[in-house]
Amino acid sequence: MDEQFDFKTRYRNILLIVLGACFFISLGIILIAKPGASRIWANVLLNNQYFLGLSLGAGFFLAIHRLALSGWHTLIQRIPDAMTTFIPVAFILMLLIYFGMHHLYIWTDNTLADAVIEGKKGWLNIPFFFTRIVLYFIGWIAFSWLMRQNYSSLMTSSDIKYYNRGRMFAGLFLAFYAITVSASSWDWIMSLDARWYSTLFGWYVLIGMFVTSLAFITLMIWFLKRLGYLKFVRIDHVHDMAIYMFAFSIFWTYQWFAQYELIWYGHLPEETSYYITRVHHFNVIFFINLGVNFLVPFFGLITYNSKRNLNWVALIAAILLVGHWLDYWLMIMPAGAGEKATIGVFEICMTIMYACLFLFIVLKSLSARPLVVKNDPFIKESLNYES
Amino acid sequence: MSDTSYITISFEDEIPLLQAVRKLRENKEIIKDVLSPFPVHGLDEALSMKRTRIPVVGFIFGALGAVLAFGFQAWVFTVSYPLIIGGKPFFSVPTFVPITFEVTVLFAGLSMVAALLIRSRLKPEITFTPLDVRITDDRFVILVDTPDNDASLERVKSILSGIQTVEIK
Amino acid sequence: MFQSPVRDPLIEGSNTYKSITSDILNPMMNKASKYWYMGMTLATMAMFFGLFMIFWTVWQGIGTWGENRTVGWAFEITTFVWWIGIGHAGTFISAILLLFRQKWRNSINRSAEAMTIFAVICAALFPLIHLGRPLLTFFIFPYPNTRGLWVNFNSPLVWDVFAISTYFTISLVFWYVGLIPDIGTLRDKIGKGVKKTIYTFLSFGWKGSARDWHRHEVSSIMLAAIATPLVLSVHSIVSMDFASSIVPGWHTTIFPPYFVAGAIFSGFAMVQTLLIIARKAMGLEDFITKSHIENMNKILIATGSIVALAYGTEMFMSWYSGNEYEHYAFMNRATGPYWWAYVIMITCNVLSSQLLWLKKLRTSLVFTFFLSIVINIGMWFERFVIIVTSLHRDFLTSSWTMYKPTIVEYGLLIGTLGIFFTAFLLFIRIFPVISIAEVKSILKTGSRNQPKGDSHHE
Repeated sequence: MDEQFDFKTRYRNILLIVLGACFFISLGIILIAKPGASRIWANVLLNNQYFLGLSLGAGFFLAIHRLALSGWHTLIQRIPDAMTTFIPVAFILMLLIYFGMHHLYIWTDNTLADAVIEGKKGWLNIPFFFTRIVLYFIGWIAFSWLMRQNYSSLMTSSDIKYYNRGRMFAGLFLAFYAITVSASSWDWIMSLDARWYSTLFGWYVLIGMFVTSLAFITLMIWFLKRLGYLKFVRIDHVHDMAIYMFAFSIFWTYQWFAQYELIWYGHLPEETSYYITRVHHFNVIFFINLGVNFLVPFFGLITYNSKRNLNWVALIAAILLVGHWLDYWLMIMPAGAGEKATIGVFEICMTIMYACLFLFIVLKSLSARPLVVKNDPFIKESLNYES
Repeated sequence: MSDTSYITISFEDEIPLLQAVRKLRENKEIIKDVLSPFPVHGLDEALSMKRTRIPVVGFIFGALGAVLAFGFQAWVFTVSYPLIIGGKPFFSVPTFVPITFEVTVLFAGLSMVAALLIRSRLKPEITFTPLDVRITDDRFVILVDTPDNDASLERVKSILSGIQTVEIK
Repeated sequence: MFQSPVRDPLIEGSNTYKSITSDILNPMMNKASKYWYMGMTLATMAMFFGLFMIFWTVWQGIGTWGENRTVGWAFEITTFVWWIGIGHAGTFISAILLLFRQKWRNSINRSAEAMTIFAVICAALFPLIHLGRPLLTFFIFPYPNTRGLWVNFNSPLVWDVFAISTYFTISLVFWYVGLIPDIGTLRDKIGKGVKKTIYTFLSFGWKGSARDWHRHEVSSIMLAAIATPLVLSVHSIVSMDFASSIVPGWHTTIFPPYFVAGAIFSGFAMVQTLLIIARKAMGLEDFITKSHIENMNKILIATGSIVALAYGTEMFMSWYSGNEYEHYAFMNRATGPYWWAYVIMITCNVLSSQLLWLKKLRTSLVFTFFLSIVINIGMWFERFVIIVTSLHRDFLTSSWTMYKPTIVEYGLLIGTLGIFFTAFLLFIRIFPVISIAEVKSILKTGSRNQPKGDSHHE
């Protein structure tokens, strides 16, 4: 029960070398190929949002299970717990956007004579924008820190009061999360298309974020089990993760459809602009996005046996991770980088760089404490879990 | 039931029932059926029951429903009576999705229930003679497929010695 | 399966399999109490009042209603959406909570599903009444006819027909499949007579064989798996009746999930109303415990907060959009002549449900009962606010007007309430209100006083 993940120097070195290599390749591309400032900043924003989303979705996973008195997930909860440690790093990365504001957001242009954008000035202005960023992150960092502290209390003490206190933190996190993830997605993504709006947008981002985190948690289970850790985690737990990915991918598709359908049906020019850009200029990615994030998990995980094969489930999870990266790409790039946006070496290098950083921080935090919260009152339920 | 060719073993609780099932199977007895007032957890594994294929039926009929519903709407709006409504194209996939989905669910659901009723031979009948009226209340019964004579009765009894049974006959 | 001792027990008292059977069946097999007769009298009176108003509407025409040229949709659509919403909790409990393995659903799913079916029946009446000529109802289905016409598959109203009839069918079938084993219990409990024959007929020859149980369990799970997206789709499609238009206040992309959350919110409120009475009247306190009520209250907080978030999002976006009509529609909602409806909506849905954060209120039966009624009123007003305030001041200022319901319209609401309660009161006399088999399956792991035998085998 006390097994602890050993973040070997070898892994550290591999991650740091790849990170460094990608950094220099990206830097080289920036200096030599000159991809243009908007493309560079759009990439920063995309990866900030994606990896921050992984952490926040993990916090959501923990909070919702804690509040619902879930038992089965107890053995794997250290993985999402470690994932939330990336949030402070994401804060710093998000503040970097300050230097790219003018390249990303047209509403920062004060010379623009546009009545609609002018009307949004009360919300969309740089000081308030960054005030909000700080507020979001203070809340996320504080509540996720409280939840993590609570876990470490549960590591040392079996007093039930820690568990109950953790439920309170989970409730606070959840309430804050629901509001701020909606609002931050309006700020960071929706306002890229400054004239466009959709009330569903925040919820759509929220669910996509959760699916991504589920996929990452599953992939981590696969990874840790391959290295011989998490012996107590059985196929029944994997089965549940697979059901989750299956169900929430369908739910994501539902949100996707609801937003698309209503805008398509209403056919109002101020609303359709978003889809027209994406369907006309990026139609391959547009349909790949739908296919990868809906059809792959739907057909890939529909049968009983497919959900009970760890390698297969991990493969689908990996595809979903790519798929939701594409989803963010579609939300951000066409507006942030313009019609010439592509997926080239630069995008891939930037993402790998971020991924290495994210993995480094998550694995480091995972190795800091045992892999199982052994005083969790539901541990025995999880050990005996049959799906 | 006098003309039984099997032995019935009754229990008051599911724990001895599960023990008995395991023990009987270890001793190569053939269990004809197990009757219980509710689904006993772990019994499926103890009987090494094969998973039912009802979900497959649901999938096939669901797919059929999807194809029929989508095809029908597409046919109506492109071949049978094309009409421009609200400026939408004749072949407008987004508007076909909701009905396609509903019909898929309808077909899948009804086919699975039909499969359940057919496979378990459940149908409305005026008369029904239960083996024991308490089976739907608080009695658990194992039917062992063996001639109902003293020799096999003794054999089963000796296998189950030490397990809390109500009645073996 | 092991159940952590941290959890509240799902069954109170000391029960055995036998006592579960008798505790659940006795209230329905004994003679009905005088309260039942009183309730039944009231409900049938309301029902006949409503039936007369339906007759009056069909006889006289829709002119008997308060609708006018500007406000063409009002009271009846509101009530329709309200009923459909209430009809969502049953399938939510039986399907989504089953998939999430929430064992506490086992003692409330039966009555919630029954409630769903009756609520959908009440809802389905309204499109029929709206048609004006109910005899021509079959026009809404695509059938080959001599004019070569089909229904308009582009219309959300036609999607509604498919969604609601599918929802009704699947809910009914799901409910009945769950009932079969319990009808078997009833059949075996009743000595002889006509009743026995009827229950024998209805029990489909259920004998409780392990294979049958396995198939029954798997098909229940699979039905739950398909009913889950179905629940979401039904209210989403209902919301599209509004959202696919371009009326400011209606045309907004958040509508589908927001309506679903609202539906579950109101549905759970109605379940609370019914179950708090039923557990008391039928002596089912052992099975519908305080912790069941508390759990449902937690779902009320969750869905109530989602609804609140949606209100906030809509309000914000109406300003953010920079669309003056959108902005006006929402300002008019909150501060226009129908401000009182908006205040009722916010008070009853947002503010009152947030009180449930307090454990003291959440575990109080009296408060919960009161709150559940408040929420149902609030949810009725939510639909009223959405529908009427978006219409009554449309683009043409000269057409601005107010809407006032007539007695006929109130009659339709009262009548459907009558139908609903009549059906529910009959249901509790005919079928077990709690799933006997499902409660037995959690006796060993979920009781406060563990019955004899080891609780966690394996």
